[in-house]
Amino acid sequence: MAAVLSLSPEQHRAPPRPALLWALGVAAVAACAVTAVLASANEELYQPALRVLLVWWVTLPYIFAGIVAWRRRPDSFFGPLMILAGFATQLSMLQWTNQPLFNTIGQLCDLLPAAIFLHIFLAYPTGRLAGRAERVVVVLAYVAALGLQVVALMLGGFDQHHLLTVVRRPAAAEAVQNLQLLLLSALALVGVVLLWRRWQSLPRWQRRVPTQIVIHCFSLTLVMFAALLVAGTFQLPGFEIIRMATFAVMGLAPLAFLAGLLDARLAKAGVGELLVQLRANPAPDLRELLAQALRDPTLSLIYWLPQYGSWADQDGNPATLPEPGSGRQVTLVKQNGEQVAALVYDAGLGEEPELVEAVSAAAAIALENGRLEAELRARLQELHGSRSRVVEAQQNERRRLERDLHDGAQQRLVALALELGLLAEQTDSDPATQTRLKRARGEVAQSLTELRNIAHGLHPAVVSGHGLAVALESLTAATPLDVQLKTDGLPRLPEPLEVAAYYVVSESLTNAVKHAQASRATVEVGVADDTLIVEIVDDGIGGADSERGTGLRGLADRVEALNGRLRIWSPADSGTRVRAELACG
Amino acid sequence: MRVAIAEDSVLLREGVARLLTDASIEVTASCGTADELLVRVADDLPDAVVVDIRLPPTHTDEGMQAALTIRQKYPDVGVLVLSQYVEVGLAMRLLADSAEGVGYLLKDRVSEVKEFIAALRRVADGGSALDPTIVSTMLKRHRSSDPLDSLTPREREVLELMATGASNAGIAESMVITQRAAEKYVSTIFTKLGIPATGSESRRVLAVLLFLRS
Repeated sequence: MAAVLSLSPEQHRAPPRPALLWALGVAAVAACAVTAVLASANEELYQPALRVLLVWWVTLPYIFAGIVAWRRRPDSFFGPLMILAGFATQLSMLQWTNQPLFNTIGQLCDLLPAAIFLHIFLAYPTGRLAGRAERVVVVLAYVAALGLQVVALMLGGFDQHHLLTVVRRPAAAEAVQNLQLLLLSALALVGVVLLWRRWQSLPRWQRRVPTQIVIHCFSLTLVMFAALLVAGTFQLPGFEIIRMATFAVMGLAPLAFLAGLLDARLAKAGVGELLVQLRANPAPDLRELLAQALRDPTLSLIYWLPQYGSWADQDGNPATLPEPGSGRQVTLVKQNGEQVAALVYDAGLGEEPELVEAVSAAAAIALENGRLEAELRARLQELHGSRSRVVEAQQNERRRLERDLHDGAQQRLVALALELGLLAEQTDSDPATQTRLKRARGEVAQSLTELRNIAHGLHPAVVSGHGLAVALESLTAATPLDVQLKTDGLPRLPEPLEVAAYYVVSESLTNAVKHAQASRATVEVGVADDTLIVEIVDDGIGGADSERGTGLRGLADRVEALNGRLRIWSPADSGTRVRAELACG
Repeated sequence: MRVAIAEDSVLLREGVARLLTDASIEVTASCGTADELLVRVADDLPDAVVVDIRLPPTHTDEGMQAALTIRQKYPDVGVLVLSQYVEVGLAMRLLADSAEGVGYLLKDRVSEVKEFIAALRRVADGGSALDPTIVSTMLKRHRSSDPLDSLTPREREVLELMATGASNAGIAESMVITQRAAEKYVSTIFTKLGIPATGSESRRVLAVLLFLRS
């Protein structure tokens, strides 16, 4: 059975203890009861029953949605913030009592919920404030809600049951209070703009309906807030109505948020679809299927290759997990306690770990298969790489030997031949000496010819020195066949490529002469689409086979080591066509 | 005659210098690199240069490039290219549009002192000197309905000599025939191969090469 471990690029946090969550739930209910008691004891309160209901309507959804969110997204601050907002709302209701200390606390917290709500909305969904603008707005909101509140209270503002009055300046207190309300309403409206901007910046595939509803609820709440605070400042008629409407709207936001979480569960229906597809197609494009199921087209799938101790993509190419803070989320898929694969996806608004978990579990067997395939491909690549290195090393060694022969033995022998030639010029008297000199010169000349053939067989120096076109002209001129050579517009290419192409032509012509009894051949070499194409066609008896005879097999090795392809068509009695394609890049 | 040498093997460079000095040829410069040769030639124009095709730093085509440069910049300076291998492809490149004042020989040929000096003098005088292996290689090519098949063995021999840049007198001497007989062979060959008769000896070298390559 597959186990799935969700890993956000940031530090992991342990989920809250259930006891704590239960305690918070009980405390929320208790706080609601206290509020009801306070309201019934307060005779000045306008429509106390409705007020209490509205307070409950705001408090309970936030606290309970917060508890659910905290349990399911321990890494996010969003849940704790929601819980905090609920309790702050309750605290502000302590102003309903005349007991001085509690009244002071209640008055202090009067506008705190407004700032916390703004904070929550702008921190959706990670619980962190994403941008500088968001941070500035939230800090200002706290300053206005708490800081200015303290100032207003010290100036003797509001009713007189609190303990903070230092001087009694009712006019100043009211001015501060009005400033506070206007500032908060302005910040609420700025918050609406920031939310809207956030929505616009989302990629299309992330603009899903549940997210949209949440953001609309937040925006509506903020607009209502602004209206309420302005109404409070200018003591507009209908203030109480607006207050109740605002509370009513505020309670909607957590419900929308819960609906979003529920949607993540509903999305698990897509897992069934995934299972059906996996069953129908045993070798699927797994990344594509997972991307569909997780509704994230940017999803990438990488596999853990234990033998290599590294990550690789589906083709076996090395891959890495994203850096923390890259905005990409990682989910490790484990099987029997060992990591098999990792899903890398956008850490966007709708992060849904349960869905990722369900999808990974559903695809566990396919993932294991995918991993084996990636490992196989990585091995193939490794094999190919080592073959390339062998061919390259051989090539380098041959070139070095040719060079050593050229600069060493060949030069010395030529110098010796020259010395003997000069000696022969000077000793014209003694015929016996002349004869021996002549024989010696013949021996040296023979040695030079043999050495030259050996050196040329080791490495075609003319290819490195003067390019494929010149080398092929010499090669075809020296072939006892009627060869048509076409190398028009052939540029200089990397040496290994030129040498490989040279050997393809040389070996094919040798075969044409030796085995195919050909009388004519055409050799065409050109570059098309960044690929060097070498084609040799003869009119011989055909029947060439790359598996028989080491010549053509060696050619195929040489060409494949350069990531190229060698194909041979050689039906009996209708000539042989050899075609090599080598990527120039 | 005044000659500049470029050859990176000291042993060989000194040997060639001695060979030339013994033949009363003045060696104006004895260089180890192509760049040095170009500088020395510009300073003091010789009648001919003897240049190794593989020279430092990369030992690929520096000598060839120097040879082509000298041919282009100083058409009056004969260029004799020496190499451990002679390549038909390079011969065609060296002789691209004229065989005048150019030679391309296997390095081994320096040991045939008299022939080598003769070839060098020919090149310095605007003639040509192509290594016989080039022509013999090209003659090995089998072609269907080949006009070469209509040549007698003696005529083929003359053709090969002609392609190395030999004069009629040279052909006559090599084949131990009269110059008149040599001339006759030459004109028969031209007729049989359908090559228009050309006056100069180096022009006919190119004509024969182009015919053989076609």
